[in-house]
Amino acid sequence: MSLTYPVATRTLDNGLRVVVSEDHLVPRVSLNMWVEVGSRHESPGRTGLAHLFEHLMFEGSAQVAEGEHFRALQGHGGHANATTSFDRTTYLSSMPTGALELALWLESDRHTDLLPAVTQSNLDNQRDVVLEEKRERYDNHPYGDAFQRMCRLVFPDGHPYRHTPIGDMTDLRAATLQDVHRFYLDHYGPSTTVLTMVGDVHPDEAFELAERYFGDAADRTVPRMPATDPLPPAGGVNETVVDDVPSERVYACFRLPAVTDRDFLVATVALDVLAGLAVSSLHQRLVRREESVSGCGAGAMGLVDGTSLGYLVADVEDGHSGAEVDAAVCEELQVLARRGPGDQQVRAALAQTERSYLEALAGTDERAELLSRAASTHGDACYVNAHHDLVRGVTAEDVARVAGRWLTPESRTVLSYRAGPGASDAGRGR
Amino acid sequence: MSRRPCPAVTPPPAWAFPEVADHVLPSGLRVRCVDLPGQHVVSVRVAVPLTLTAEPRDREGVALVMARTLDEGTRAHDAEQMAQRIEGAGIALGAGVGERGLVVELEVPGSSFPEALGLLAECLVDPVFPEPEVARHVRSRLTDIAHERADAGSRAALEFIGSYYDATDRAARPAGGSADTVGAVSATDVRAFHAAHVHPDRAFVVVAGDVNGMPGAPADLVDRALGRWSATQGQRRPGASSGARAPDAGRVVLVDRPGAAQTELYLGRPGPDRRTPHGWGAFQVLAFLLGGSPQARIDAVLREGLGYTYGIRAGFRPRRSGGLCVVSGAVRADATVEAVAALQEVLSFTGDDLTDDEVRHAADFVAKTAPGRYATSDAVADQVVRLGLDGLDVDTVTSTVEQVRTLDRSRVAAAWDEVRAGPAWTLVVVGDATLHAEGLATTGFGEVTVVRG
Repeated sequence: MSLTYPVATRTLDNGLRVVVSEDHLVPRVSLNMWVEVGSRHESPGRTGLAHLFEHLMFEGSAQVAEGEHFRALQGHGGHANATTSFDRTTYLSSMPTGALELALWLESDRHTDLLPAVTQSNLDNQRDVVLEEKRERYDNHPYGDAFQRMCRLVFPDGHPYRHTPIGDMTDLRAATLQDVHRFYLDHYGPSTTVLTMVGDVHPDEAFELAERYFGDAADRTVPRMPATDPLPPAGGVNETVVDDVPSERVYACFRLPAVTDRDFLVATVALDVLAGLAVSSLHQRLVRREESVSGCGAGAMGLVDGTSLGYLVADVEDGHSGAEVDAAVCEELQVLARRGPGDQQVRAALAQTERSYLEALAGTDERAELLSRAASTHGDACYVNAHHDLVRGVTAEDVARVAGRWLTPESRTVLSYRAGPGASDAGRGR
Repeated sequence: MSRRPCPAVTPPPAWAFPEVADHVLPSGLRVRCVDLPGQHVVSVRVAVPLTLTAEPRDREGVALVMARTLDEGTRAHDAEQMAQRIEGAGIALGAGVGERGLVVELEVPGSSFPEALGLLAECLVDPVFPEPEVARHVRSRLTDIAHERADAGSRAALEFIGSYYDATDRAARPAGGSADTVGAVSATDVRAFHAAHVHPDRAFVVVAGDVNGMPGAPADLVDRALGRWSATQGQRRPGASSGARAPDAGRVVLVDRPGAAQTELYLGRPGPDRRTPHGWGAFQVLAFLLGGSPQARIDAVLREGLGYTYGIRAGFRPRRSGGLCVVSGAVRADATVEAVAALQEVLSFTGDDLTDDEVRHAADFVAKTAPGRYATSDAVADQVVRLGLDGLDVDTVTSTVEQVRTLDRSRVAAAWDEVRAGPAWTLVVVGDATLHAEGLATTGFGEVTVVRG
């Protein structure tokens, strides 16, 4: 089955890309504003601003009082949220069809005229909230800082992906109102934004509304920074964290190609073949046969600017060691590159990827996000349908080739956590 | 750019939960089908209403180990073959147990639906629970338990059930068992539990998704696969836990975590079940206006006003009979006592303090977001199962939304006053006892007991 989600697109004169996909199952519309600004656009000493901004965008704008953004939408059956990543910040909302125009008005006001509402007191309050968000999501969980550590291990000094979107709290504390205003003017504008509407709306009407609410928005953004050269596969210096963790855990981290490179997709399949499935090599060997790990998994973060990140993870059983598990990981990496994956493994990895993708598209909120991503990252919203065919086209030979280039023992960096007294850095620990 | 006036909003049309087509198979098994055009992934659920009180006391957790090993080998296929067939068909298969029973969940692209049903039937009817696989899952559960204890949020929830429920009630102990009881579970225990409890008496199957283009009606396909699953009517014995509250539950339990980066709070007191005379919708509205958004009563003060938290949630957890009102979230470690005091003050309002505006706002949100909550096959299937295990039908969703649409302040006020008039809060705090124990004793939540982290 090929996917046939309807996709209509238009670019307004000021550069705003508009994407519309009809779906009349329920009388609602999902709205996604994808802004091409994330942590990689932050300057040294001013990290965390993109994410702080995501918070400030809910604190009112020229015509919308503090708290009114949520309140106005919710009273009509809408909800709103936002997320910040390395490459982009997205604002998502969903509402009954009759409130779509209200939602566009709210988005237009904050995306084009926010600054009158960004005051020192809002800034101070939301900075406190972000500090608590960091403690809740990263500091107060065993292994909670793993992702930050992986980025520091895999990306060199000065690389835009070396720091994560939550940012450095010292930088956040130092951010002035002026820094924050400048950040908005530099990065938020029609030419850096994709507006996607999915649901109970006809494209003609959606385009007309987009023109009405965004057509006269001026673009003041600064030119996008030049692309960073792709990093070659290479292992870095391994790190061991001694912390109050419930079990020893080993991550093998890898650089991967940019998300726009087909080989990134192939690499995600290879990672699944290695550790993401019940039929994966490491699961069969370490979980089922050798019983040296209680569970294993794989993950990848597709990124735009030259280089992505991938990892394998395993929880080591008592009586076994991280070094033993790491040695087995290296052997399986070599086996995959040399002999290629088993047919059953490729079949399973592709079938699971396909179902996960269809599940992601099932709800209109996430479908809108994927359409925005397709338009922004792949330059074509229709990539949402094409991606499905690309997945099905991945072969065992592709997997072996990509594993041989990107997923080798030499190109891995190991991050391990071992149980021990005390936290390894200030502010961490339970 | 020019500033435009705020546009008018047209109200949404009336809404009803998607239609459920019921079929009773010759075996007596009920199949409930919901056709959702455009939903390419079909969600299948098998709900088996067993009770956790049926687990032997020294083998608690056997039901969950059984649920997790259903697909680890059958009479016809070993564990590895099953994994190949399940993953190769693009199926996600999972199973869990709770107060109301066992639920097996399956997600599959529509094209593999018939194949998925065959595999599902094999797991339900013919599992053999090989010893090595059961032993492995027992070990994996023990690891999970260690991780749950290490995580502050899960630790708070665990401490809460032990503090709130009466020690003689099954609900006072984790649904998935404790380290000592899980560690004792053997393949023989698992087989015995499966044989005694996993049968179709009063079980039902839910299929939700786009059923277009399938090689037959979904209920017929289910019959073909699961028709051989047999039961003796009336086999199930009642005996669910009543969820009795401990007589000394109105107090503070402080789980000591020296140097914690944040303090985790978990409060609970008696709440309603879905059959409450106030109408379940009144409590959905209360949950939203208390802890459903940054502008809700709690976060308006603790997050937006004081910056103490990233967010504190409130909700009502219905059991088959009775339930809980729960408030939970993490707060700044160095403002723990201040945050608890602020929370105490926020929660001390009476029904009379509610305003027409806030009730109307919350009611509009709850009623008008309903179509969006049930717009995917998994959300629809989950709701049919949740209600079905409570002995309710999906018209409850539609009638609750109708109730909320016209709900007035006095109904919500009466609902809240009933919670307030009931037994006091149990407050679990996971944080640094040296820093907070003394201060917490002054916040009005009762005496403080410190336990080791």
